[in-house]
Amino acid sequence: MSIALQLLFTGIGIGAVYALVALGFVLIYRATNVVNFAQGQFAMLGAFGMVITTEGLGLPYWLGILLTLAAMALFGALFNLGVYYPLRHRSFLPVVISTIGASILLTNGVLATYGPEPATLPGLTDLPGLNFGGLFLDSQYLAIIAITLVLVVLQYLFFERTLLGKKLQATSQDKEMASLLGIPVAGMIMLTFVYSAVLGGIAGILVAPILFVSVGLGAQIALKAFAASIIGGFGDIPGAIAGGLAIGVIETFGAFYISVPYKDAYAFVLLFAFLLLRPQGLFGEKVSQKA
Amino acid sequence: MPHHHGHSRCRAALAGLPLAGLALIGSVLTSTARAQDILIGMATPLTGAAAESGRYAQWGAEMAVAEVNAAGGVLGRKLKLVIEDDQTSNPGIVAAFNRLASDPQIAVFLGSIRSTQVHAMDPDVRRVAKPVFFGGTDPLLTQAGDPWLFRARPNDSYSAKVIAAFGVETLHLQKWAIISSSDAFGSSGARLLTADLAALGIKPITQQSYPNQAADFTPVVLSVKNSGADAIGSYFTFEQDLGVFARQARQFGLRTTWVGSPSIADTAALHLAGPALWGTYGVADFNADSSPETHTFAEKYLALHHVPADNFGGWTYDSIHLAAIAIAAAKTTEPAKLRAAILAIQGYKGVEGTYDFDAQGDGLHGYNVVHNDHGKIVFVKRVDFPKP
Repeated sequence: MSIALQLLFTGIGIGAVYALVALGFVLIYRATNVVNFAQGQFAMLGAFGMVITTEGLGLPYWLGILLTLAAMALFGALFNLGVYYPLRHRSFLPVVISTIGASILLTNGVLATYGPEPATLPGLTDLPGLNFGGLFLDSQYLAIIAITLVLVVLQYLFFERTLLGKKLQATSQDKEMASLLGIPVAGMIMLTFVYSAVLGGIAGILVAPILFVSVGLGAQIALKAFAASIIGGFGDIPGAIAGGLAIGVIETFGAFYISVPYKDAYAFVLLFAFLLLRPQGLFGEKVSQKA
Repeated sequence: MPHHHGHSRCRAALAGLPLAGLALIGSVLTSTARAQDILIGMATPLTGAAAESGRYAQWGAEMAVAEVNAAGGVLGRKLKLVIEDDQTSNPGIVAAFNRLASDPQIAVFLGSIRSTQVHAMDPDVRRVAKPVFFGGTDPLLTQAGDPWLFRARPNDSYSAKVIAAFGVETLHLQKWAIISSSDAFGSSGARLLTADLAALGIKPITQQSYPNQAADFTPVVLSVKNSGADAIGSYFTFEQDLGVFARQARQFGLRTTWVGSPSIADTAALHLAGPALWGTYGVADFNADSSPETHTFAEKYLALHHVPADNFGGWTYDSIHLAAIAIAAAKTTEPAKLRAAILAIQGYKGVEGTYDFDAQGDGLHGYNVVHNDHGKIVFVKRVDFPKP
């Protein structure tokens, strides 16, 4: 029983990181109808931002987080202006290719400026974790789960209870109608990129103490996060979170009870199963049911 | 106007002649200098998961090239490295090797320290038919009949023997867990270690393999902890995986004695895992205190690059010197004569050990045992085996 609980805890912790990155995928998809394949690199940049501010500049951890997230917000705006905005009137494919190009550029840009050496980053707390009768709760995983939970609640309140959130929702649902109603669509899309970059940055900051900081960090997470967003129903926010958690838990249990070498396969077996049996995902509607 | 225009074009052409002449002379001089250099092609990871170790490998090779050239070169010619990025991937190294091999002036190549990549490039090595030094430790690489592969590190038949013998006979460990990556290197290492433990009358109580770049090792750590193992024998391919495992093992209170393959004692692993590796043992082809040659190299490397030397720089450093010795002995870069000259190298004291090439192309036949004493890698002993 304690092993199952241990695996569940770890799976939720890893799954929460997938969920955070998946949220970025979904939010940008809802706002622009394209998939941003550089979402994983946002996490990598967030992790490097922390290394530069805390290890390089010697700033306190909390200040490092604030500066990194501020930099990520600025980066999200620039990403929108450089990668999406010039192609906004083009079809799906050129924009997707543009984001793939941006992800390659970001990875190699960091490699060229920072170098290939992986860096270490301390966790949010010096405490190793809590021990409850054989169940070890790693402090970093606890932080990941708690912060994800808070972000999800804040995000829900923002989208459902604020005018700005409703404007963002309106933009994602029908850009033309939103524009006719006087909503600044370009501004809303800019805000979505800014928020997605910050979310990616938070995911990178949270996972870096566990996986180390390297240029491969983004790719390591992004593929699973992408699968999570499809499993949840692409474009669906609760679905992205549930998909991320499901993948984290299933791959952790599968690795322990079935086989570790096939750990990465479980996420994609689940993905295939959903694509075959429930292509609309966990919470998505069937296309035929939409008005 | 057309006449005038024709004149100016003519003048421009005449004025350009000296420049063209200079460019031509420059080009001839450059190609003559290049023709006089002995080119060594090196495929190494400059990007991808192993980019850090690729840089160390490059530094080691460059140090040796500088030393050979400072001593007058080989056959009166300078050595020159031509480097291609293998992107830490099998397709990457195949492409990198073929780009290098398309230059007919390259006489000798340096391949990869990762067995899976050497397996991938092997068909092209046979086709190109020129000597390739490599560092991958899967024993099968030199047993598959490719006459052009030469190993500048000891293979895993020795590392497994040393891990098993040291763990069982010196540390008296009986209940073994084997952890290995699921690639060619890890699978081969796990198979050999299982066989060598069996020879000592021990059957591992659990075997765990994992995919490279695994984000989380909780299932592996819990499996080992639940097995009641008193020993871990490991073959980790990438230091980041080793670091994640070491830290999680420590967090979950897994205090099992750990004897690992060389990655457990290399610079990148020590940097990433830190105290999580304290108290572990490893077999290491490179150790700064194992010989005077190694010590001198390690000091020079540290002074130049400000990081401690390890096997990544060690095997490429030795490979360049071995190539230089073979070219000097063969008095030519003709591949067949070069191959014979490499196989004839006996008793050469490199930084990875003393090279006695056997007929299959293996140069080294032993390992150092090292101990991580609060982050410092301490030499325990050297174990050499007779050349087969």
